[in-house]
This record gives sequence, C-alpha cells and structure tokens, in this order.
Amino acid sequence: MNSGLKVWLNGALAVLRKDLLLELRSRYALNTLAIFVLSTLLLVVLAAGTTTLNARLHSALLWIVILFAAALGMGRFFVAEQERGTVLLLRLHARPSMVYVGKLCFGTLLMLSVNFAAAIAFVVLLGIEVIKPGLFFLSLVLGTLGLTGATTLLSAIIARTSRSGPLLPMLLFPLLLPLLLSAVRATENSLLSSSLTGAPWENSLGSLVAMGSFAGVVITASVLLFDYVWED
Amino acid sequence: MPRLYPTVRLLIVTWLTLVILGAFSFGGTWLNIPKISLLEHTARNLYFHVPMWFTMMGITALSAFHALRVLKTRSAISDIRSRSAALVAVVFGLLGLVTGSVWAHYTWYEGTNIWWNFDPKQTMAAAQVLIYGAYFALRGALDDPEKRARISAVYNLFAFVTVPFLLYVLPRQMESLHPGAEGNPAFSEITHPMMRLVFYPAVIGFIGLAWVLYTQRVRIAAALARLDAFEDNNLN
Repeated sequence: MNSGLKVWLNGALAVLRKDLLLELRSRYALNTLAIFVLSTLLLVVLAAGTTTLNARLHSALLWIVILFAAALGMGRFFVAEQERGTVLLLRLHARPSMVYVGKLCFGTLLMLSVNFAAAIAFVVLLGIEVIKPGLFFLSLVLGTLGLTGATTLLSAIIARTSRSGPLLPMLLFPLLLPLLLSAVRATENSLLSSSLTGAPWENSLGSLVAMGSFAGVVITASVLLFDYVWED
Repeated sequence: MPRLYPTVRLLIVTWLTLVILGAFSFGGTWLNIPKISLLEHTARNLYFHVPMWFTMMGITALSAFHALRVLKTRSAISDIRSRSAALVAVVFGLLGLVTGSVWAHYTWYEGTNIWWNFDPKQTMAAAQVLIYGAYFALRGALDDPEKRARISAVYNLFAFVTVPFLLYVLPRQMESLHPGAEGNPAFSEITHPMMRLVFYPAVIGFIGLAWVLYTQRVRIAAALARLDAFEDNNLN
C-alpha cells in the first residue's frame, strides 16, 4: 500500500478511535439521543392516538424524528473539541481531511445505531408492518449517510460562530430537502403492500439513486471545503 | 468615466418603464394579448413572474461564484459581492413566489382558498430563500470579518451543490403547474408571438434591474469599507 495513504488512513482512524473511546466512557451523546428519540416517538404515538396513519405519514414522521435527532446529536461534535480546548492539538497532529473523515465515520456509526433503534421502536410502537425489510433498511442507511455527510461540515461551521445555539437546524434543514423527500418516498414504498403499488423496489430506484448520489456529492464537497472551516 | 454608471442606470430604469407600459397596454390590436380561457388577462403576469425566476437563478449562481472567489483569493470585495448577490436573490425569490402564488390562485385555484401549492419550482424557490435566510443568520453569528467571509462562503457553496438534487428530486415527487411539465404544453407552444414582443425585453429589463440593485449595494458597501479604513488610519 502507498505509504502516504497509509499515514492518512491511520490519522483518520486515530480520530475515530479517540471519539469512540470518549463516547464509550461517558455515553453522553448515545444516552441523550436514545432518550430524545424514544420520548419523541412516545409523543407521536400519544398524539396520533388510535387513528390509523397511512404509509406516507408513517415514513414522514420517522424521518422528521431522525432529522431532529441528527441536528441535536451532531451539533456538539466540534463545539465539544472547542470546550475541551483540544482543537489546537488536533490541528497539529492531523490534516483537515483526516479530522473530517474521522468525525464523519464516528457520526455515521452514532447515527446508524440511533436510527436503527428509532426505526425498530417506531415499528413496534405504531404497529407498522414492514413489507420490504431490505428496502426499509437500505433507505435508512443511505439516508443516514447523506444526513451525517451534510451535518458534519455544518457542525464544524457552527463551532466557529460565537452564538451557536439553534443555528445548526436552521442551516441544515433547507439543505436536506431533497434527501428528506427521497428518503420519505423510499421508506413509504417499503411499507406499502405490493398489491397496491406494483413493484416497490423499481418504484424507489430513483429515490435510492438520489439518496446515494446526494451522500456522495455532499461528502466530496465537505472534504474540499473543510480545510477552509478548520484552519485559521 | 465617472458619469457612465448613472447613464447606464437611467437607461435600464427607462427600459423597464417601457416594459411595464407595454405589459399593461390594452389599446387596439397593438400589444393586445390573445384571450385564452382560464388565463384571460392574468397571462400578462408572464412578463413579471418568469423574468423574476430567471433573474433569481442567475444571481444565485453569481453569489456562489463570488463565494468561490472568496476562498481562492480571500479578497474583501468578493465577500461584499457574494453577500449583495444573495440579498438581491432573496428579493427576486420572494417576488417570484408572490407573483406565482397570485397567478395560480386566480387561474388554477379560482374560487378556492388555496394560495400555496406544492409545485416543484415553487418549493425550490422557497428552499433557496430559506437557505439565504440561514446564510444571513450565520453571518450575524460571526464577528471577525475575515472569518465571516470565509465561513459564510463555505456555507454558500455547500448549499449551491445541493441545488441540482432539488431539480432532480422535486419533479419526481410533485405535480407541476408549470408549462413544459408532464401533460402541460411547452412554453413555446402556448405563447403568442405578440407576447414575446414584451416578454424578451422584460427578461432583459429585470436582469438589468437586478444588476442595478446588485452594483449599488456593492458600491455602497465598498465605499463604507474605504471610509472605515480611512477613519482607522486617521485615528491611530
């Protein structure tokens, strides 16, 4: 293997390992997010009452809960570095792209576990029948990738502001419109029985391609732009 | 060349006045538009609504271009240009939304209470206006001018790369009211040649208006920056 690539991979892995270790010690983000997601789902279930919602509404509610969880959980990624005073150390030891990829991998692992837990709780609590589990999980994974790709750069941006408060959801939500629409469409197709729609996989192919390429473009743009946010 | 700018500005304002006169002329056969059922005289909105949409797209690209220049050259004037273009884009985006909403209300939704519909182009314009709203809020949260220019340019470009996805995803999700969409006739098929006599000048006129608004904001901001620098030098 090329030695430059090896150094780069080691750096990115070191950042990921550091974040995983810190998270496993305190379990702050995981606990907060789990409780946030569960309480929001409980609110949804109670608010919906005994009404039967259709597949479109189910998938829209699920994705809105996931969107807010991401804005809440990933907003602290870089703010925490700033508060601990470890930014300079990280800048000295790793190149910007290593930091970005390390944080992106950590964010993806975190959000994947939170989103899977949320999806399972959602399906159980609302008594939803998942007709196509494969499509359901694929749309969840692709949606999470696009979500974390966009959120990681934006959370680095808000760490540079003096008043970070509710800035992240405001910066994030208008950008995520195309991702949210595709994700809702794909998840909806996985919940509909095939007698109604014909072929769920064929129908959601366009949405899945859009989600995959959204993640690709957002991550590429983030790697290119991250230098300007990270360095002084 | 000190008098060139006011002359060009006056030309554009005169041009736009003539366009508006042409758009509202009812006399005889000259510039009188053909009556189409449902559309009737609302078709005159073509002269306002469509150029506003064109202008907004153009000025959005201009804002992203100058954001790229900020990152490449770190020049303060590029930041002023990028910010001013974003502001003009918001103005034209809002005007495009309002004219489109009114037009749809008095044609498609005549007699109903519907003002907002989920048309792809409308949703996209709304998203773009929201993105620029977030852009200005982000600028407000950054105190150091150099950092503000750089970070907000990153956000501007990041938002710009997601626009093609809106163009790809939205038409697959929503029904469109616009010409050229599925089942709707294309623009060239439904537009009477007489209307093009006003429409094309209107496009030029509104792009000219955007240019005047944009350059004026840039000139004011650049003059203020020079004044600040001058005062700093004299005080210290």
